[in-house]
Amino acid sequence: MNVLLIGCGGMGRMHAEMISRSGLTLAVCADEARPAAVALAQKYGAKAVTDGLKAIENKNIDIVAIATPTPEHLPLIKAAARAGKHIFCEKPFCRTVKECEAALAAVDKAGVKLFVGHVVRYFHEFETLREQAKSGRIGEVGFVKLYRGGLLPNGPKSWFADYKKSGGVTMDCMIHDLDWLRYTFGEPKRIFCQALMKSKPVFMDYSQVTMRMKNGIIATVIGSWAHPAGFRVKAELCGSEGLIAYDSAEAPLTSMLRSESATGSMIVPSSPVSESPYLREWLDFVQWIDTGKCPRVSPADALKAVAMAEAALTSARTGQPVAF
Amino acid sequence: MVNIGIMSFAHMHAYSYAACFNALPGVKLAGIWDDDKKRGQAAAKQFNTTYTGNLTQFLSGKMEGVCICSENVKHRSMVEEAAAAGKWILCEKPLSPSLEDAKAMVKACKQAKVGLGAAFPCRFAPTLMAVRDRIRAGEFGEIYAASCTNHGQSPGGWFADDVLAGGGATMDHTVHVVDLMRWIFDREFTKVHCESGNQLHKKTLKTDDLGSLNLEMEGGMQVSHLASWSRPKSYPTWGDVTMEFIGSKGVLYVDAFGQKVNVYSDRAARSEWASYGDNPDLGLVHDFIESIRERRSPCASGEDGVAATAVTVAAYKSIKAGKAVRI
Repeated sequence: MNVLLIGCGGMGRMHAEMISRSGLTLAVCADEARPAAVALAQKYGAKAVTDGLKAIENKNIDIVAIATPTPEHLPLIKAAARAGKHIFCEKPFCRTVKECEAALAAVDKAGVKLFVGHVVRYFHEFETLREQAKSGRIGEVGFVKLYRGGLLPNGPKSWFADYKKSGGVTMDCMIHDLDWLRYTFGEPKRIFCQALMKSKPVFMDYSQVTMRMKNGIIATVIGSWAHPAGFRVKAELCGSEGLIAYDSAEAPLTSMLRSESATGSMIVPSSPVSESPYLREWLDFVQWIDTGKCPRVSPADALKAVAMAEAALTSARTGQPVAF
Repeated sequence: MVNIGIMSFAHMHAYSYAACFNALPGVKLAGIWDDDKKRGQAAAKQFNTTYTGNLTQFLSGKMEGVCICSENVKHRSMVEEAAAAGKWILCEKPLSPSLEDAKAMVKACKQAKVGLGAAFPCRFAPTLMAVRDRIRAGEFGEIYAASCTNHGQSPGGWFADDVLAGGGATMDHTVHVVDLMRWIFDREFTKVHCESGNQLHKKTLKTDDLGSLNLEMEGGMQVSHLASWSRPKSYPTWGDVTMEFIGSKGVLYVDAFGQKVNVYSDRAARSEWASYGDNPDLGLVHDFIESIRERRSPCASGEDGVAATAVTVAAYKSIKAGKAVRI
């Protein structure tokens, strides 16, 4: 199957590799910035274009992979669905629930498959956390703490720093944790959020969420785009008979390169696995197309994740909890 | 020589404070009163002092200060009696679960012209003192947000009995962090939202065992705080106090009791952390003794205790109302 990749930035480069590793052919790379499209296309022997929307009409394309800024997702999904292509879309599904609904309607009408990349469901550590919680090893889970934080991606000039477009750390990054909570512990009941979304004197966002699930579990989620460096994920599940904890800082591999810069070197943790979570989500998507077996993430799940993040942002604005 | 008495060993911190009084030069643990005779007698034996069962008789003794470690709801009457007897007072936290009672205690001590301190030993943890100094020196610029935790193992007993404790984990484990934040920033809390539950001990407790709070301070700083009895019996230590600060010039994270070495002993059922460094309780007790000598209020005053209680009272109000409330 031939894939058109739209958006050749950080996530686009990642998906290009996964596309080629999952047995698909990366046929066209599209990016408004021609050099980005050309560089990636050359690496994989693909064609480079600047107009993604137009490239969707290409008859040879079977799958459209979308890795653009969030506000561009809806028009691209609509066009791809109209053209009868299957769609892989980077999370968040769309910027608002309303947009998600419009996208879903287009996909349903066209009868194409849409997969949204909630990759944390495929992370090995989160799989183990989920299995351990579900095994009853720590009794009944009553309390969950999740933390995901690091730099504001690509600096203050990137579209991520335009909170209207990205929805800040809550919509773009914490959405992973909100989705995983629902995936693991069921539907949310209400959510409370405080979000910084600062642009002066520095661009930074820091989001603090308390979410009550329908089954009573309380989840506290922190998302940071406020750190000067690094990236860290922490998870803690508290039960009636124990506790499960994970911290990415306790990685099996840590490296530090000698640096000439005044700021010095940074410790880079890594935890290698033979099958990247990003590859696993692609393989799940491809299997869905090939065999009809439902993947781990449904379009309805992706919409619900946006609904949770959107409710969080509403709470941050009103200063009161938002019920689902 | 400063003579000190301890009133009630209901709260286990009394044992640590008693050891601290005994360790300080120029201080004498002159006597113990407890409404539980057996507990009081055993403590008197353990700390090499005398037990008195009659409170009036106890308070007519020559000690200049008393340390009160009773169940939370008994704090008020004991403070009022000790104040009337002219004693300097160090009262275990929370000062009181009730704002009305807490304020009455401060008033009683003012009228009696005695000092009243709320036992917030975290102010004497060098890790947290360093945090305060560095933030106040401006190293991290303006602080916009903070995420805090105060987790612990379930203390059981009266702690989990609403009637005696006046609240659960949200009460027990919110006041330390509230006090630290006020102490670091010289600002008051203005707003709180709290979700709480009684769901970590198979509903065997009569109170909440967990609270997730979102707070706001003067100037708009956003603060989250987790108060819980969520550490299982198998956990290597009693709990934690952690804080992450987000500032314009950087971030700061502190694990206040992170000064530890890991101990794996086949003689224990769990791995353990052995702590090193200073004992914050000793700093707290030392400050109390100095406050008696200098006839001043202890470092964390009764007013500080009132302010902390105001936050927990509002948190419980928020739980009931299902929305954020003003403090």
